Amino acid sequence: MSFVKHRNLMKVYNKFVRQKDENLKRRNIDKKNKKSVQKVEEVKEETQVHALEPDSNVLTDKEKNKNKISKMKRLNKVDENEDVEHGEESDIHPAVEESDSSEDEVAPRNTIGNVPLKFYKDEEHIGYDISGKKIKKQARKDMLEAFLARTDFSKKLIVHDDYNDEDVEIPKEWQELIRSLLKGKTPHADVNPYPEYVDWVKHDAVHPMSNAPEPKRRFIPSKSEHKKIVRLITAIRKGHITFEPPKEEKRIYHDLWGDDSSSTDKSRQGLRFIPPPKAKLPGHEESYNPSLEYIPTQEEISSYELMYEEDRPKFIPKRYESLRKVPAYDKAVEESFARCLNILLCPRVRKKRINIDPESLKPKLPNRKDLRPYPITCFLEYKGHIDAVTSISVQVSGQWLASGSKDGTVRIWEVETGRCIKMWVVGEAVNCVAWNPVPDRFVLGIAAGQDVLVLNTGLGSAEEQHRVKQLLNIDAPSGTDNSDDKSTPIVSWIKHDKHEGIRLKHIKTVTSVEWHRKGDYFSIVMPTGDSKAVLIHQLSKKVTQRIPFKLHGHPVSSVFHPCRAILFIATKKSVRVYDLLKEKLIRKLEPGVREISSIAVHPAGDNVIVGSREGKVCWFDMDLSTQPFKILKCQPKDITNVAFHRSYPLFVASSENGTAYVFHGMVYSDLNQNPLIVPLEILHTTTHGRGVIDCSFHPRQPWLFTAGSDSVIKLYCH
Amino acid sequence: MPKHYRPPGKKKEGNSAKYSTRTKALRHLQVTLPTFRKLCILKGVFPREPKKKYEGNNKTYYHSKDIAFLQHEPLMEKFRDIRAYDKKIHKAVAKKNDELANRLRSRKPGYTLDRLVKERYPTFIDALRDLDDCLTMVHLFAALPAVESEHIQVKDIHTCRRLSHEWQAYISRTNKLRKTFISVKGTYYQVEIEGQKITWLTPHALQQVITDDVDFKVMLTFLEFYETLLSFINFRLYQEINVNYPPMLDPRLEALGADQYALSKYIAGSSMVESQAGKVKMTVESELKLAQLQHQLPANEPGALMQLVEGITGEDNDDEETRECKGLFKDLKIFLSREVPRESLLFVIPAFGGIVSWDGEGAPFQETDDGITHQIVDRPTQGHVFLSREYVQPQWIYDCVNARILLPTDGYMVGRVPPPHLSPFVDNEAEGYVPEYAEVVRRLKAEAKKEVLPMPGLENLDLDDPQSLVAEGIMSRTEAIEIAQKKLKMDELEKRYHEELQKELQKLPYSAAASSKKNADRIDEEIKDRVDRSAKDVSDMDQIVRTRKQRGLVKAMEMGIEKKAAKVNLLKKRKENIEKAPASKSS
Repeated sequence: MSFVKHRNLMKVYNKFVRQKDENLKRRNIDKKNKKSVQKVEEVKEETQVHALEPDSNVLTDKEKNKNKISKMKRLNKVDENEDVEHGEESDIHPAVEESDSSEDEVAPRNTIGNVPLKFYKDEEHIGYDISGKKIKKQARKDMLEAFLARTDFSKKLIVHDDYNDEDVEIPKEWQELIRSLLKGKTPHADVNPYPEYVDWVKHDAVHPMSNAPEPKRRFIPSKSEHKKIVRLITAIRKGHITFEPPKEEKRIYHDLWGDDSSSTDKSRQGLRFIPPPKAKLPGHEESYNPSLEYIPTQEEISSYELMYEEDRPKFIPKRYESLRKVPAYDKAVEESFARCLNILLCPRVRKKRINIDPESLKPKLPNRKDLRPYPITCFLEYKGHIDAVTSISVQVSGQWLASGSKDGTVRIWEVETGRCIKMWVVGEAVNCVAWNPVPDRFVLGIAAGQDVLVLNTGLGSAEEQHRVKQLLNIDAPSGTDNSDDKSTPIVSWIKHDKHEGIRLKHIKTVTSVEWHRKGDYFSIVMPTGDSKAVLIHQLSKKVTQRIPFKLHGHPVSSVFHPCRAILFIATKKSVRVYDLLKEKLIRKLEPGVREISSIAVHPAGDNVIVGSREGKVCWFDMDLSTQPFKILKCQPKDITNVAFHRSYPLFVASSENGTAYVFHGMVYSDLNQNPLIVPLEILHTTTHGRGVIDCSFHPRQPWLFTAGSDSVIKLYCH
Repeated sequence: MPKHYRPPGKKKEGNSAKYSTRTKALRHLQVTLPTFRKLCILKGVFPREPKKKYEGNNKTYYHSKDIAFLQHEPLMEKFRDIRAYDKKIHKAVAKKNDELANRLRSRKPGYTLDRLVKERYPTFIDALRDLDDCLTMVHLFAALPAVESEHIQVKDIHTCRRLSHEWQAYISRTNKLRKTFISVKGTYYQVEIEGQKITWLTPHALQQVITDDVDFKVMLTFLEFYETLLSFINFRLYQEINVNYPPMLDPRLEALGADQYALSKYIAGSSMVESQAGKVKMTVESELKLAQLQHQLPANEPGALMQLVEGITGEDNDDEETRECKGLFKDLKIFLSREVPRESLLFVIPAFGGIVSWDGEGAPFQETDDGITHQIVDRPTQGHVFLSREYVQPQWIYDCVNARILLPTDGYMVGRVPPPHLSPFVDNEAEGYVPEYAEVVRRLKAEAKKEVLPMPGLENLDLDDPQSLVAEGIMSRTEAIEIAQKKLKMDELEKRYHEELQKELQKLPYSAAASSKKNADRIDEEIKDRVDRSAKDVSDMDQIVRTRKQRGLVKAMEMGIEKKAAKVNLLKKRKENIEKAPASKSS
C-alpha cells in the first residue's frame, strides 16, 4: 500500500520536476540576458515580503500565494546554503531553480544508465563509480525502521528514490504542490492555464510550407461563375426573376349580379340547389337575463345527469345580473364547426312538413245532433235481481221486458213503470232469455243450465192465453223426435213440473236461445255439444232437428236471417251463413279477430255486425265481401254483445268495462252507397264485475236496455 | 345468376346509376379526401338521400350529376397545380435552398372564387337568403385570435373584422336592423334586406375559447368562400347607396380602433359628395382627399353631419317599418361608458336614428356634453351624476329596439337587476306561455299607440256549447274542455245557491261553512270527473272512426302537443314556486 503510494508520488514528483524544467527553459530563452537582473530583483522581493508579512491579513489571496511561493524559493535558497547534511539532495534543487545546465553538473549517483532496475535487484551494488568500484546499495531498512520512519512526528514526507537508492525528503511546500497536482488543480497561482498562442510556424513567412507557384486560376475570372451569372442575367431580362417583392394584390370588386331581372337560373347547372335549413332562432331561455321561470332548479339540473346523453338538454339556461358579467361562450367555435359540418355532410332533402290539426284527420261525419234520436241518458233502473243479470229480452210490443239472472230467477218487468210482473225460480243460472217474436204469443224461451224452458208467461187476453196453452200442451209424456231415424232422442220434450211450459232436456249446457221470426222454430247453441252443438226445435210439432252441416270449431251464437231461410252460425273464428232450404253453405265471413263473442244481423238482412273478445266490432256488408267493411276498434276489453235496432238506424256494442257504444249505422237501399257508421255516444253503466253482459234495443223506441253484473237493468232514453 | 347481375353492355340503372358513394366519387374524380371536401364546400355540393341506399345505410351518397359538376370545375385543375407547386417548395426547403423556397413562396399561384359566388347564387336575393351562416362565421372569426398552429392568419382575422364592420355600417346607415337579442352565446341581430330576414350571431367581445376538437381547415375553407361572398354583397349594397367600395377609412380613427365610426363617417361623407357632384366618378386621389377632409371635419358635431345625411337619404322608398326604426332614438344623444359593449351599441344606436359617442379618443363628443340625454352605464354604482341625463344599463337599448318604443328607464337604472331580457324571435302566443314582462311591454306598446286592450281574464266566449265550437274549429279542444268545466261548475253553483235560498226561506239554521266548503270540493271533483270523462268519450269516439294509419299519426301529434304543454306547464309551475318562495319567506 505504502509502496504504491510512494511510487505514485514519485511519478508525480518527476513529472512536476520535468514540467518545471520546461517552463524554465522557455523562460530562460527570453530571460537569458536578464538573468543577473532577475537575481537582484528576487532579493528585492524577498525584502519586500518580509516587510509585508505583519499585515498579511490585508493581502488578497493571490498576493498570499505569491508570497508563499517566494517564501518557498527563499527557503530553498537557505537549504542550498546551509544544509550540509543533505548536500546531495540540495544539488538538485539549485539546478532546478537556477538553470538546466546545473543538471549536467550534478551527476546522478547511479551509473547503471538506462537499464531496468530489476537487473540489479539481487545485487549488492548498483553500478560502478568512475574509479571502477562498486557503488554499494544502501542497507535495507527493516520493517520496524521503515515504520518508525513513516510515523515520524516531524511530518516529513520522505520518498525513496529507487534509481538512486536514496531517501528524498519532500519539503512542505512541495507537498502542497503535489497535492494540488494530484487533484488536477493549478499547482500555484503563477500558472496561466490559457497562455497566449504563439504561432511558431508562420505560413506567410519568408520560408513558406510549399514551394509551388500560385496557380493561374487565382488570377483569372471563373468560367462557371460566369455561366451562372449569364443564366441569372437572362432570367432577369426575360422576367423570370424579379427582385421587388410582389405587391399585395388589391382585390377588385364588381357588381357580380348586375341587373338581376335579366339573369336566368342557367348559370347553376345540374341539380336543384337546396339551401341548408336556417339555424333555429334563440328562445327566451337563451337570454343572458331570462325570466326566473326559465332557469331550472338545482334538482332539475342534477336530474339531467341521470338522463341519457341524447335526451339531456344541450343548453342549460343561466342568468347574469348584468351584461358585464357575461363571459365568453365556451362552445362558440365548437357550435360553429358543428354547423359547418352539418352543411357539408348532411344529406339535404326537401320535405313537406304538414302542420295539421289532429281534428282534421277525423273523417267528415254528420253532426251527432242531426242523427238524433239515440239513447243518451239513463231513464229507469229495474232492480230486483240479486245477482248479475245475464240476459234480457224485450217483447215485440215493447211492453214487457224479460230478464234472466245468475241467481236462478227469471223476471218479467213492465217497461214503462219498471214494475216486476212475474218471477220464476228456475233453479239454475239463467244463460239466455228470449221472447217469442210473434206479437200475440207471450212465450218465453229460457236457457238455464242444460235445460231449455219454454214458458207461458200468462200475459195477454184469454183467447191468446188459450192459444198459447194449446201450443205448449204436450200429449204424450215422450214426445220424441224421429227426424234422424234414431232411436235415442237428442232432446227430450217434457212438460215442466213447476211452471206452465215445456222443458227440453239437453246433454250439455245451453248458452243461447234464438227464435225464428215466425215464432215456431227456435235454435239453441251448446258450445261443447260437438256435432249436436246447434239444434233447431220446432215448437208446434215438438220436434228437434240437427243442422245438416258440419261445424268447424266451437259455435258461439246462431241467428236467423230476419226475412229469409238463412242461418248464421258464429264460431270462434268465423261466421258461416247457411241456406236452410238448399241445405248448403252460402258464405263464410272472416272477421280476422281473435275470438268472436256475439253476432247481430241488420233488420234488412244484408249487413252483419260481429263483436269480438278483443274489443273490435266488425261490420260486414254481405253483398260486398266476406271481409269486414269496417272494423271499429272500440275499447280494450271484451265486447259482450252487439245488437241492431229494429227500426232506427242504430246499433250498440256493450263491453266488459261497463260501457255501451251506441252507433248510428245507416244502410242505404242504393247499392252504390256504403253504409254510414257514426259513433254517437258512450254510455257508462257499471264499472265493476264483467260490466255490461247483455244489451237490447226497444223494438219501437230508440231506447236501450243494458243488463250488467251489478244486477241492475237500465233503460237509456233519448 | 347473382341477384344484381347486369349483362355486359347494359348500363346501370336506378339508384346505383344516379348516386355514388363518397369513396367511389373520390376514385372517379382522382382527388384526395381533403381536396374533395374543399371542393364540396366551395361549390356548395352536398350529399343527397337516395330512395334506396344500395350500398348500406352508413354510406354517404352523392348524386352523379353533382359529381360530374365537380369534375368540370376548373378549380380542381388549379388545386392540382398548387399541389405541384407546393412540392417544388418542399423540395427547395429540403435542399436547404432557402432563397429559392422563399422566392417560390412569394409567387404562389392563387385563385379567386368570384365565379363560384355567381354560380351558386345566380341572383342577389339568393345570396341574401343564404347569408345567415356567412355572417355568423365572419363575425365569429372577427372575434377570434390568430392562431398560427391552426393556420388562422392575422390577415384572415383582419379581413373578417373589416367585412363585418362594413356590413354593420351599411345596416346601421340604412336603418335595416329589426331585432336584437343578447343571449349567453352572443348577440343576435336580425335585419331585413329586400324582404329577406337575415339573422346572425356576434360573439361577446371577449377572449374566445379555442378547443382542440375542431378542424379549422374545414372552417377556414368555409370562411374563404364566405369572405368572397360577403365582400361582393357589401359591394353591391354600397353601390346601392352610392358609396364606393372598398371604403377608404380615416387612418386616425382606424388606428384608434373606431372603425365603425370611421366607416359611418366615410359613408356619410362620400354619399354627400356623390349627391352633390351628381354621380361624378371619383378617382382614387379624390377619395384620399375626401378621407383627409373627413378628418378635418369638426369631430364634435356629428349632429350636423347626421342632419346632412338625413336630408340626403330622406328617400321616399323607405317602407313603413324602416321609417319607424329610423325614428326610434331620433332625439336622443347617447353616451357610452367604457365598460359597455361599444361595438354592438355603436352599431345598434345609429341604426335606430340615435346619436352616439363613447369614452375615448376620436369620439364625436365628450362626456361633459350638455346635450346628452342618456348615458349607458354598466357598473354597480355611478359616481358623478349629471342631472340632465338618464343613466341606464345597456339592456335598455336592446329592449327598446325590440319593443320599438322608448321603455321607461326605471327598471334599467344603475345598480339594479334589469327586468328579464326576452327573445324577440319567439311567438309567445304560439308557444302557449307569455312571460310577465312580455305582457308589460305589450301593454306599454298599446298605450303608446293609444289602443285599448281588453283586460285579462274577461273573455266573452260562448259558453253554451263548447263542442260545437270545437267542431267549427274556433277553439282548441283543451279550451273547450275548460269552458265546459266552467259551465258545469256555474250550473252546479247556481243549483246550490237555489238550495240554500230555499233552506233560508224555510228558516233552517245555516250549516257550517266547513261543510259547505267540503261540498264545494266534492262538487268540484265530480264536475271534473264528469268533464274529463265526457272529453275522453269524445276523443275515444274520434279514435274509433279513424283508420289505423291516422290513429298513429294522431298519436304522434298528440305526443308532440303534450310535450309542448309539458314545457309550458313546467314554466308555470316554476313561476308559481318562485312567487310562493318570497311570500313564505316574508310570512
